[in-house]
Amino acid sequence: MKVAIIGAGVMGLSTAYYLSKLGAEVTVFEQKYLLYGASGRNSGGITPMIDKKELIPFALKSLELYDKLPAEVDFNFLFRKDGYVKVAASDADAEKLKKDVRIQNELGVKSKIVEPSEVKELVPDFNPDSIVLASYCSESGVIFPWPVIWGLARGCRENGVEIKDQTAVDEIVIEGGVRGVRAGGEFHKADVVVNAAGAWSNKVSEKAGVKLENKILKEEICVTESIKPYLDPYIYDITYGVYLSQSARGEIVGGITGREVQEISTDSTLEFAARYAKRATQLIPMLKGLAMLRQWAGVYDEGKDGLPVVGFTEVDGFVQANGLGKHTGMIVAPALGRELARLIVKGDNPNLKEFSPRRF
Amino acid sequence: MVKERKIVCRCEDLTEEEIIHAIEEGYDNLESLKRYTGATTGACQGKGCLMHIIRILSQKTGKSPEEIGVTTQRPPVNPVPLYVLSEGGESE
Repeated sequence: MKVAIIGAGVMGLSTAYYLSKLGAEVTVFEQKYLLYGASGRNSGGITPMIDKKELIPFALKSLELYDKLPAEVDFNFLFRKDGYVKVAASDADAEKLKKDVRIQNELGVKSKIVEPSEVKELVPDFNPDSIVLASYCSESGVIFPWPVIWGLARGCRENGVEIKDQTAVDEIVIEGGVRGVRAGGEFHKADVVVNAAGAWSNKVSEKAGVKLENKILKEEICVTESIKPYLDPYIYDITYGVYLSQSARGEIVGGITGREVQEISTDSTLEFAARYAKRATQLIPMLKGLAMLRQWAGVYDEGKDGLPVVGFTEVDGFVQANGLGKHTGMIVAPALGRELARLIVKGDNPNLKEFSPRRF
Repeated sequence: MVKERKIVCRCEDLTEEEIIHAIEEGYDNLESLKRYTGATTGACQGKGCLMHIIRILSQKTGKSPEEIGVTTQRPPVNPVPLYVLSEGGESE
């Protein structure tokens, strides 16, 4: 079986990797370079504390895969499991945290509610007056997204996957069903074409004549200068959308959850820097003197009902693998890619039925 | 010997040898090389090392500096403390 995957982000590469293990002949087409899209621009927060119950089993399975994959592909992902704290700054959001934790616990996530004073024990210099309530999960942490992509790419290549960067797919050739793609001036025969193009998925889907109405979100993010190991858990304020953590390089990496946009743009704004700095220093006042070194933006997508879009479409051989959503792409992609590889090879996979593009 | 180490990026403590090794590993375009080595992403934001990186890439790949291009420049130009940023930019 020949499979063409469009997009070399975490979803495209994990699908390619597991497909290659099942014996498929895979080519991945990347319009720019590895890490150009959202997989190279996110902050690496990894937790099964997700507020969409459909995604939680995939997050739990991905945590297991993230333990195994580095040895399999011979690349250290720099995954640090120092916990994840979600904080709420309003009473309504505090109730949401409580409800989410109940559902998470039912599905096997070891998350719990913690009082603001307890957050101070997890996070030095935390200002408990800046929040109402928090939730915490120790089986979570921070991964460095770049080595995840390099490592998956390495595993793919070892298994014979060809990754063509700087190669945009110009045409998806369909005669009855998928016949292949035209990219870089050449025709590449394929039995299956997978659209794992993230924020570009709607446009790619158009090339197959399939309507896809994923939301496109733009998210801004920044890093400070490096400091010695200081901040263990990843912190996400669900009320303000502000999140921050310390990277393996010692920088404090933080941002504000994405907002829907009509057009893809990766401009940086001062408005973001100011909003982020204000809330981050309310949460941890000691960060005030730390200097921001650089800021950037990324774009990603989310299914219009909030869930990923993964599975076969009405065009025979054309597969969606996109819409992974806010704060969830890096954590669900390994397990989602593995299940998708099984779907493609076997033609059926009940584990993915909730994400089928045919639900719309 | 220490005196034989040619430091290319002072912020990330990268030697010329390490840059060449990364290029040989396949990170042979500027954007990938930057991300793999960390060069140009430190406190000086490439002011000290970008030209050296382009020179080494040019020598190793045979591409001209024009073909290699430059990395995307990110704001702020110089580091700015969070307490300064938190005072500005209110528009909502």
